[in-house]
Amino acid sequence: MKRLPQSHIVVPGPSRRRFYGYGIPNVELDQLAGKLIVLEGADGSGRSTQIALLVKWLEGCGHATVQVGLKRSTLVSEELARAQEGNILSRTTLSLFYATDFADQLENIILPALKAGFVVLADRYIYTLMARDMVRGMDEAWLKNLYGVALEPDAVFYLNVPPEELVQRGFAKNSALDYWESGMDLGLSRDMFDSFMKYQTMMQKTFRHLQTTYGFTIVDGLRSADALNADLRKKIGAVLAGK
Amino acid sequence: MKTFAELNFPGRLIAVEGLDGSGKSTQIYLVKRWLELQGLKVYFSEWNSSELVKSATSKGKKRELLTPTTFCLIHATDFADRYERHLVPLLRAGYLVLCDRYIFTAFARDVVRGCPPEWVRGIYSFAALPDLTFFFKADLNVSLQRILDGRPQLKYFEAGMDLRLSSDPYESFRIFQGRILEQYLAMSTEFDFLAIDANELVEKQQGIIRELLAQRLNLADFQRAERPELSGRAEGPPLATALITNREEPVE
Repeated sequence: MKRLPQSHIVVPGPSRRRFYGYGIPNVELDQLAGKLIVLEGADGSGRSTQIALLVKWLEGCGHATVQVGLKRSTLVSEELARAQEGNILSRTTLSLFYATDFADQLENIILPALKAGFVVLADRYIYTLMARDMVRGMDEAWLKNLYGVALEPDAVFYLNVPPEELVQRGFAKNSALDYWESGMDLGLSRDMFDSFMKYQTMMQKTFRHLQTTYGFTIVDGLRSADALNADLRKKIGAVLAGK
Repeated sequence: MKTFAELNFPGRLIAVEGLDGSGKSTQIYLVKRWLELQGLKVYFSEWNSSELVKSATSKGKKRELLTPTTFCLIHATDFADRYERHLVPLLRAGYLVLCDRYIFTAFARDVVRGCPPEWVRGIYSFAALPDLTFFFKADLNVSLQRILDGRPQLKYFEAGMDLRLSSDPYESFRIFQGRILEQYLAMSTEFDFLAIDANELVEKQQGIIRELLAQRLNLADFQRAERPELSGRAEGPPLATALITNREEPVE
């Protein structure tokens, strides 16, 4: 017999809210009743598949959801996409452009949705932005101040997949490696495969470093989509229940 | 934070700061002419950013999408673009770079909008300090009069309408400018502003500024070397141009 969707709905308890740094002016943190769940990981680590599965599950459980991701702001997303095509902006400029995109979504989507009691699923957050800039030599303290505008999420899961597997997944999906995901702008190697491996290794190292500050949960991304999702559901279920 | 001289750049950056209508653009233009006529390597930063950043900034302003945080960030993006693409290379090449407004404009404006001062300063900490900063100190009413006489249509952000200070744009502009002036005055000592009495006659102010520049800089170091006319030069944009109008444009 097929199990009917559960009729008992878990009502999430309040979160202990804080901004990482100076935050956004005039925000009443105790009014943010929703939950902010972040999935981090490289391209090909399975973030979008997992988010799609989580949305289905959360809605089935009676939770309203909203999705956000990088480069999706009304304010600067088009310009950011064009900047990447032309590779014309220098690193501080590009870094601040991304921060603008993030802040725009934080203020216009994430915070209002949390206030309205939604579960916000973020396909990457400040950690990817910080890691990308750090491997490009930007100062960590500068980045921490900049992203001090960010709200601390209720949970952050980093889908850990080694570069050897990422490259295989990348080729299974597209026949070419992505310029930026290969870190070609860094001049690590003229060979794109070598550059990809080096860049992704540097990114993983940087994520592990950031993990010590931000304490996100590292999950094994090598498992099947269903097994991984079952693990995430268990962990998110605990967050919603206030455990 | 260090100045360009302290960072051993061969060039020097001279900034002018002050309220809209304080006459600083006129003064920096006259400084530029004076330096150019001496055959010095001088560049006036026009505050033109790349089309890309400009497109986002003007969209944000036109559609009133900006909050204090994104207002600060998008202007910092714009500044970083100019800083990294124009200012730093010119200063490396030993130019005297003249800036009509620099980071202090952002410090004053963003703090008035409610951003934490330490956060704003942290963001701009990638930029070196000017070697000389002239602060044009005029009576608030004199500055306001100069702007409001000549330019009746105030834009949303330049009037500080986003701060909800008043529903009347003129009243809002007055309060907003008053608060910016307070911020400038508070920064004056900390950043060694050279205060110029902007209520004085144009010539008198210019005389004081030229004297200070000659005292503080060894101008002969910035002499343009004699070199043959490069081909194709006439077709390209001029290296140093100043866009000066008689009317002062309020900064947004």
